[in-house]
Amino acid sequence: MTSKPANQTRSLMPSPAIKGEVQDFLVLCRRMKPLLGTLYLLGILAPEGLGYDGSLAQTRRGVLEETVSPWRNLDTYSYTKYHPMEEIYQWMVQITEKYTGVVTQHFLGMTYETRPMYYLKISQPSANYKKIIWMDCGIHAREWIAPAFCQWFVKEILQNYKDNPRIGRLLRNLDFYVLPVLNIDGYIYTWTTDRLWRKSRSSHNNGTCFGTDLNRNFNVAWCSIGASKDCHHLTFCGTGPVSEPETKAVSSFVESKKESIVCFLTMHSYGQLILTPYGYTKNKSSNHEELIQVGQKAANALKKKHGTNYRVGSSADILYTTSGSSRDWARDIGIPFSYTFELRDNGTYGFILPASQIQATCEETMEAVLSVLDDVYEKYWDSDSAVKMTLTAMVLGLLVSFMSVL
Amino acid sequence: MLPRRQRPPASGPWGPRPAVLLLAPLLLALQGVAAAPAGAGGPEDSPGLQDAEFPSGLLQQAARAALHFFNFRAGSPSALRVLAAVLEGRATVNPKKGCQVDLVFTTDHYNPEVGEEHLGKCSARVFFRNQKPRPAINVTCTRLIEKNKRQEEDYLLYKHMKQLKTPLDVISIPDSHGHIDPSLRPIWDLAFLGSSYVMWEKTTQFLHYYMAQISSVNQWKTSDDAIDFDYTVLLHEFSTQEIIPCRIHLVWYPGKPLKVNYHCQELQTPEEASGTEEGSAVAPTELNNF
Repeated sequence: MTSKPANQTRSLMPSPAIKGEVQDFLVLCRRMKPLLGTLYLLGILAPEGLGYDGSLAQTRRGVLEETVSPWRNLDTYSYTKYHPMEEIYQWMVQITEKYTGVVTQHFLGMTYETRPMYYLKISQPSANYKKIIWMDCGIHAREWIAPAFCQWFVKEILQNYKDNPRIGRLLRNLDFYVLPVLNIDGYIYTWTTDRLWRKSRSSHNNGTCFGTDLNRNFNVAWCSIGASKDCHHLTFCGTGPVSEPETKAVSSFVESKKESIVCFLTMHSYGQLILTPYGYTKNKSSNHEELIQVGQKAANALKKKHGTNYRVGSSADILYTTSGSSRDWARDIGIPFSYTFELRDNGTYGFILPASQIQATCEETMEAVLSVLDDVYEKYWDSDSAVKMTLTAMVLGLLVSFMSVL
Repeated sequence: MLPRRQRPPASGPWGPRPAVLLLAPLLLALQGVAAAPAGAGGPEDSPGLQDAEFPSGLLQQAARAALHFFNFRAGSPSALRVLAAVLEGRATVNPKKGCQVDLVFTTDHYNPEVGEEHLGKCSARVFFRNQKPRPAINVTCTRLIEKNKRQEEDYLLYKHMKQLKTPLDVISIPDSHGHIDPSLRPIWDLAFLGSSYVMWEKTTQFLHYYMAQISSVNQWKTSDDAIDFDYTVLLHEFSTQEIIPCRIHLVWYPGKPLKVNYHCQELQTPEEASGTEEGSAVAPTELNNF
């Protein structure tokens, strides 16, 4: 019997309001689904152990097959296919179980349509004080390559942290918090109804229009420019800053951890861009030069992989003006390295990037992200540079004393 | 388009080579605004004029418009081009009339064959009328494909299309996972050719389009010599992020000018209260020298 780690149960925190309790119940039901899958499979594999004989298992299979998705082995999970939300939920549970001790799954909040939002925390137990890298994917529903990348990223880290010194080093002092799908309702909608849907699925104007552009809903220069107050538009900023439950879930959490977060990466498509703050003004952040330098290095690393060209610059300079974006908000609450990645392609397929390109896109993007993380790591923990600084200080100190003696 | 090989050196250590932007003194007099150098970090497409009305990426905008027009005018679904990089450009602005962009850019095959290394070069003059679509375009490009080869490819495509079973059993191209059945690839290419006309006509200095998906094939006739294709396409407008359905009807025969009729749903731009941007046009054109 697979048992869920204690903190996952703890994360279903009951709230005093009845609505909260109903939500918790729904969450519990949804969470039970993969568990039911486990039980079902065990029912087939070990009928004696659970007191069922073969014939009963057959009957059960017939009944359960209609309500539970077929069991999926993590070893056969394809990272080069697009997955519907149910499979991503299952994948999160499975990856947490396979890499117990390094990965934990955490509840972030509820979507508008009362679905649970989960992030994965990848953390190697150690006495070190860790800084945090935040990565979210799929804030815009139709950008399917982004959630695909988040899953790829998690897989790469977990499969390689033991043998790959580059990744191993990062995990010594960094924790990764990965939100594979931020706009879950919208993502599901692109699978069931409209492949090119962008926004969330909140209801407005008495149900006459739907969806807020979650990347215009953050509390930074909210709705001042590059966004619309009309709920029909695809850049609708919402009814107020952080009006949407998804935005609220992310910003509350990130705000609570902001002292520890050094890097905020938000993954989108398309356009092949690495964007720095800001979108709401042409003014530059205090560390703009550094952000461009690190970004350009990442773009170079990306290009080495498959020859893909990415451009680097502030959003207002090379894309268009926007307000209320998560990247700008993250920078303005003090997170130093804040980037938007716009993944492949350049418009040939746009949002509907062929699955045949997932692997190459993920491989090159991985190089870019690792490059950023290396730079971040070296900035804060490079022992070589620490030693150099100490030696330099010592020499200077000696020189000063020597000069004062003369 | 996906470059699978090293780009020719248009990139320096800090990124793409900044575009060279020259502004006539007359321009300064008209504008009354001092010219500013390109922005920090050297984005290759930032105009020299830092003006509130000057959109970011004007050179890229002009290049895209020029390419849509070029592709349409070439009328060849096997020789479609996409933008590779803007090499240089300059813009002159007349606040009353619009802005003129002269530029040089490189192109790539829309459908790259593995191992091919072809980079066509184009020079263009694009005139954006203030806020109005249908920029005036003069564009010439070096040959990417030899003329005979192109004609042969077009004819092969045409023969393939004639053999497709009608009515076509398709819902959308590509499907949600981006897959296009190889037998249906010529349809996508032909649809892109027709859409190029529409996208050229709808482009302004602020709005630009990509073809996202063929959402329905309404009619596919090959009974006469020409391919008669009636379809609905979803265009993605980048600055508003909107999806615009357009009904397009085209008639194509290899080597002959493309005939296009279209009708798009209105684009509700956030800035306009109730703007409508409909287009409907017949386009008999002649092939210019290129």
